[in-house]
Amino acid sequence: MLSALILIPLVSAAIIGLTPLSGKNPRNFAIVAAVVALAINIALGLQFDFQQEGIQFAENIPWIEWIGLNYHIGIDGLSFPLVLLNSLLTLIAIFATSRTIQRPRLYYGMLFLLSAGAVGAFLAQDLLLFFLFYELEIVPLYFLIAIWGGKRRGYAAMKFLLYTALSGILVLASFLGLVWLTGETTFDYAILRSHTLPLASQLWLLTPLLIGVFIKIPIFPFHTWLPDAHVEASTPISVLLAGVLLKLGTYALLRFGVGLFLEGWVYLAPWMAILAGISALYGASCAIAQKDMKKVVAYSSIAHMAYILLAASATTRLSMTAAVFQMVSHGLISAFLFLLVGMVYKKTGSRDVDYLRGLLNPERGLPVTGGLMILGVMASSGLPGMVGFISEFLVFRGSFPIFPIPTLMCLVGTGLTAVYFLLVINKVFFGRLTESLSQLPPVEWREHAPAFVLLLLIVAFGIKPDWVTHWSEVQAIALLTGG
Amino acid sequence: MVGTSVKRSKSLLVEEYIARLEKGDALLDDSPQNLVEVVGILKSYGVVLDAYSINLCYVANTQFLKLFPLFKYFNGEVNSGKIGKFIWHDRLNYEYAEYCMKGMFWHGGGGLDAYLDTPEFAAQTEELLKAYYKYNPLMMGLHKIFPDFLPEQMRQMSYYSGLGQFWRVMSDIFINLSDSYDRGEIKSIPDVVKFILDGLVADAARPIVYIPKIGDIAFPIIPESAGITFLMDTGVPYVEAIFFRGTPFTGTVSYNAQAYEIPYDPGMFNYGALYADPLPIGGAGIPPTLLMQDMRHFLPDYLLKLYQEKSIRGEGDLRIQICESFQRSMFCVTTAAVQGLAPHPLNTEDRDQQLANRKYLKGWLNRILESQIIKVNRKTVD
Repeated sequence: MLSALILIPLVSAAIIGLTPLSGKNPRNFAIVAAVVALAINIALGLQFDFQQEGIQFAENIPWIEWIGLNYHIGIDGLSFPLVLLNSLLTLIAIFATSRTIQRPRLYYGMLFLLSAGAVGAFLAQDLLLFFLFYELEIVPLYFLIAIWGGKRRGYAAMKFLLYTALSGILVLASFLGLVWLTGETTFDYAILRSHTLPLASQLWLLTPLLIGVFIKIPIFPFHTWLPDAHVEASTPISVLLAGVLLKLGTYALLRFGVGLFLEGWVYLAPWMAILAGISALYGASCAIAQKDMKKVVAYSSIAHMAYILLAASATTRLSMTAAVFQMVSHGLISAFLFLLVGMVYKKTGSRDVDYLRGLLNPERGLPVTGGLMILGVMASSGLPGMVGFISEFLVFRGSFPIFPIPTLMCLVGTGLTAVYFLLVINKVFFGRLTESLSQLPPVEWREHAPAFVLLLLIVAFGIKPDWVTHWSEVQAIALLTGG
Repeated sequence: MVGTSVKRSKSLLVEEYIARLEKGDALLDDSPQNLVEVVGILKSYGVVLDAYSINLCYVANTQFLKLFPLFKYFNGEVNSGKIGKFIWHDRLNYEYAEYCMKGMFWHGGGGLDAYLDTPEFAAQTEELLKAYYKYNPLMMGLHKIFPDFLPEQMRQMSYYSGLGQFWRVMSDIFINLSDSYDRGEIKSIPDVVKFILDGLVADAARPIVYIPKIGDIAFPIIPESAGITFLMDTGVPYVEAIFFRGTPFTGTVSYNAQAYEIPYDPGMFNYGALYADPLPIGGAGIPPTLLMQDMRHFLPDYLLKLYQEKSIRGEGDLRIQICESFQRSMFCVTTAAVQGLAPHPLNTEDRDQQLANRKYLKGWLNRILESQIIKVNRKTVD
């Protein structure tokens, strides 16, 4: 059953890309396939025992044994929320895609390939298998930016490719080193986890892994590919990039950084916490200076992803749960914000905060988009009643006793979130509508449907956070106890 | 140099518009679309004004001096159905009529305003107060302590009544205009102006009176003998207050005095209906939204069809479109007022009369050309 989560997007990609079965415009086929994947995910969640440590629904098939690669997948409380998020955001990305997109078969094929790569990485219980999926998603994402991106798409796609390929190489180097130093002949996660290497060895292996995932997350100063990629990517791709793909980095931090090198992790944690604080402040400061709405959200993303690093560095029971919660929270909120920025761009042709004015005009502006944007800003700024508040509260509460200064730095960063987003809201949505924008096409309700779904989840998880925490709490804590 | 060229271009514009008015044209460009918009919107405005007029007169005649006039918008018909519609907001926004009344009351001007400061008005008001509070020593005691408070309420009621009577006439003119258009008698914007002008002239001397009753006793607060007339004492102050000076809207526009956006002469500070920016219509705290909201219920089919075809949003931005048409129609009413108040017929051949007219027109046009008229005419579709 678990393999279905990988096979459905893979087979869908093959059907759409290589056969005429899905028709000339495979949008409807894509929606059906994404709905089926999501339904299986939910069904899986209903059968999943969240109180049980370790992986469930495991499937282990020998693949290329002479290099130690097995098709070993499984799901636990750490990967379940992310797999579910991936299924949901894939469906939302398809909905948010223009019905008249150029080369639809290639586009949807790539989208499903991307989804398969992400879900495969989250489910992989074999380090080499993880690496394969981790690399697999780079290729479709490169094409999705390079073909359907903005004016500087070539540059942004190439930059993304170079950075994330380097990230992959560093992660692979760490995995190879681990297998070599343990003397094992397999890349199986559970087997490798049963070894405890000396601290020095752990540090030698953890360092390339950290740099690799810092690029992926991204954490300052390895972040420069992300704003370019976001700005040039189309809206649905930005949704997936921020919502799911960046989470591969933070997932790897927890799964491999904490899970495999706990001693080394604790040794480096103070430095990582400081880096998280700097990254949060840097992302927030850069966001204030941006004139492009999408860049504001992109830099905001850098700041908010740093909270996950902070929480993971603190390695308390609460902070580990908080790290997973923040991944879900950021996935929902950033996807929501990118959808809305995309709507503004689609209707006005601009994201320039110096040009856009008065979009809350009830008759000729984008009042619903503006209203949703204000709610998104509230969620991102951590206002109570929304998922952002709970996740940030848990992160700061869990991290403060261990790393008070970096936590305070992140707290300032969260305060700055309100600053940069309110600057954008004030400039773009309030005031008199720009004269040249007085004939904007209307936004239909179905165009906003994906944003409303995300908003519903943002509010629901804000009011009932235990729906998320009980998915991951046991497993997140188990990472610290060796369970 | 810039200042000189601006001055020159404005003086050229004034000359252009004087020539246009002397020729018998209106301030608003004549075009088939303008005609449809103006007549159509004036029809719905006529229907709304009819209701506003009835309510203003009802308030003035029956709700005066009431401490809590909770049902003043119900015109005496209070039942669960009407209360339900009121709460559901499926009703006319009589608040807008009150905004206009307050605008007139604030800006004053004309014979009505002057009469409200006369001893005759004070004496009649005192009589009414004594009768109204005959069994209420508390209010009479308070009246002794604050002698200006209750008369000021009656001054306001006089404006309720005055505006109600003014709109009664205007409503009939606009609905008759629409009927005339439907019969094919109105074919151009100048025809519209002429029709309105004829209506104004016909009722120019109509007396404005305010005679509320307590029981069977009538109190002539503004008797016919006061000589308050429709055109000069309510029409002209209305145009000045609503078209030029505006009602006391809050939060629509911010003026920067240091950037000379506010003239040194307050009399030159115009922000009324002719100057209004239609784009913020629909936003909170913008009273004209209420009027546009009311008019949308009574749009003739041909105008609704035009709006649906004209805008990319169909009926989505109806209230802004209505406001744009309304502003166009108000330029026609202004043209009629300018023509009606001119010292001599504007098409006179007499040189002295022409000079007098030009002096008169320059005074109007110096103000009117600061309004949206240039922008509106630039947008005119032939």
